[in-house]
Amino acid sequence: MKVTALSLEQTPPLSVPLRFFLTGPVFAVAAAVILLWHGHAALDSRWAPPLLAATHFLTLGFLTMIMAGAIQQLLPVLMASPVPRPRLTSAAIHFLLTLGTLLLGTGMLTGRDGPFLGALVVLGASLTFFSATVIHCLFHARSSHATVFVMELAVTAFLVTVGLGLLLAAGHALDSVPLFRALTDLHFIWGMLGWVGLLVIGVAYQVVPMFQLTPNYPARLMRWLPGILFGGLVVWAMGLLFPGGCYWLKWMGGAAAIGSLVLFSVTTLRLQQQRRRRLSDVNIDFWRLALTSLLAMPPLWVAKGVWGLPQADLLLGVLLVVGFAMSVVSGMLYKIVPFLIWLHLNNYMQAAGRLGEGIPNMKQILPSRWSRWQFWLQFSALLLSLMAAVWPEPFIRPAALTMLAAFSLLWWNLLEGVRLYLRYTGGGQAA
Amino acid sequence: MEINDTENGQPLFLDVSGLEPPEPLVQVLARVDSLGSGQYLHVRHHREPCLLYPNLEKRGFDYLSCGNDAYFHIFIWRKDDAEAERAVRAAIGELCRG
Repeated sequence: MKVTALSLEQTPPLSVPLRFFLTGPVFAVAAAVILLWHGHAALDSRWAPPLLAATHFLTLGFLTMIMAGAIQQLLPVLMASPVPRPRLTSAAIHFLLTLGTLLLGTGMLTGRDGPFLGALVVLGASLTFFSATVIHCLFHARSSHATVFVMELAVTAFLVTVGLGLLLAAGHALDSVPLFRALTDLHFIWGMLGWVGLLVIGVAYQVVPMFQLTPNYPARLMRWLPGILFGGLVVWAMGLLFPGGCYWLKWMGGAAAIGSLVLFSVTTLRLQQQRRRRLSDVNIDFWRLALTSLLAMPPLWVAKGVWGLPQADLLLGVLLVVGFAMSVVSGMLYKIVPFLIWLHLNNYMQAAGRLGEGIPNMKQILPSRWSRWQFWLQFSALLLSLMAAVWPEPFIRPAALTMLAAFSLLWWNLLEGVRLYLRYTGGGQAA
Repeated sequence: MEINDTENGQPLFLDVSGLEPPEPLVQVLARVDSLGSGQYLHVRHHREPCLLYPNLEKRGFDYLSCGNDAYFHIFIWRKDDAEAERAVRAAIGELCRG
């Protein structure tokens, strides 16, 4: 089994992805604090301000933040297409995304127009700059791997999500713009299944065989699956935009989109069964949790459509955001961060002529004992969040507390890795 | 990982195809330092180890690689060791012919 080559010599400075990776968990902790503070009132309805703020801290502050950092790392390495002026670009995107997400959360919590307007401008600038950077790099990509096409689709889905989000924010902030609440479903679906789902698929094509030592994904599946998912989202959107006569479009598009994610989950779980080495690994556990969450979606989606299950929306949201996306992202961080720290330490020691001193291995950089603890906390937070979606009163605060502990520990684990790097380099000149 | 150790100028063989990154690189770099005159290291890997090549160059080694249906094979020897290079070219021709 041969695997395609990477361009690791083009890896950007360590600070480029790390600033995003270290900020993401802080937003997840902030989301937990909001839910803890407001208790069951946060789940009164899907439009409850604390729930909206917490959701955006998780989707923008945690997921998009970390995915933006990962993409800036992956573009040069996977696609041989470096980001121009990587330090400056990443610093600008990071600053604007952090500020914009904070403003959006404040606007949602307080209902005041000022923060909404600020978020509209700052997030709009950040996400446009980020998209333009990714599109520029994809245009110059020198790799023909299937990941390039999937990333193009993911960025398109991202633009749709951002466009709808800005329109919704404008509806809150400006009297002249009506608030189209009906677009919220579309915004969520394109964000979670399109942007996050497609990106996870594209990255999995490369990262799962590389780090989990599985066979490659089947070539035919790699080619067709992303297109079916994307096409399903387009048809689903048409069904949502033109209700009444187009009920079947909604079902057909939804079935294609969710079906392709189910196929991706089953294929990945099967590949993981064929690993070369069956060692216990927290990264695999996170992936299994994520993929199982995806597999739990279809019955719930059908139950929602057929019986109009009242809690189905919230349950689907928890499964997609906390169960699928946040688990995959945490699992990937536990592979990518120690690998990058090791890589930059190796380069630094080589440049400094200190080859004989030895470099800590991956398990010394992020000890598996603490990542295992963090996994169980995140798993418990998911279970408690699902229970809170059905019975808010007794479960929302325990769920929020567990989430707070889980993402504080994730942040601490990552920080320990960075501190080890700084200890070796005496301040991180190489970063 | 399996290692066939050397005895009097015989090639070294290292199979890193079951290891996750960066362990293959670590194993290979730990091994190449012991290469003597006329010797080379034959590494078998499940992917092209792109990170290995610049590391070898910086440490004063030359390499040649080829892929057959199942694996990548990388042959490493000390720079300016003509005898080792001749042996590598013979070995690689046999392994990855066609």
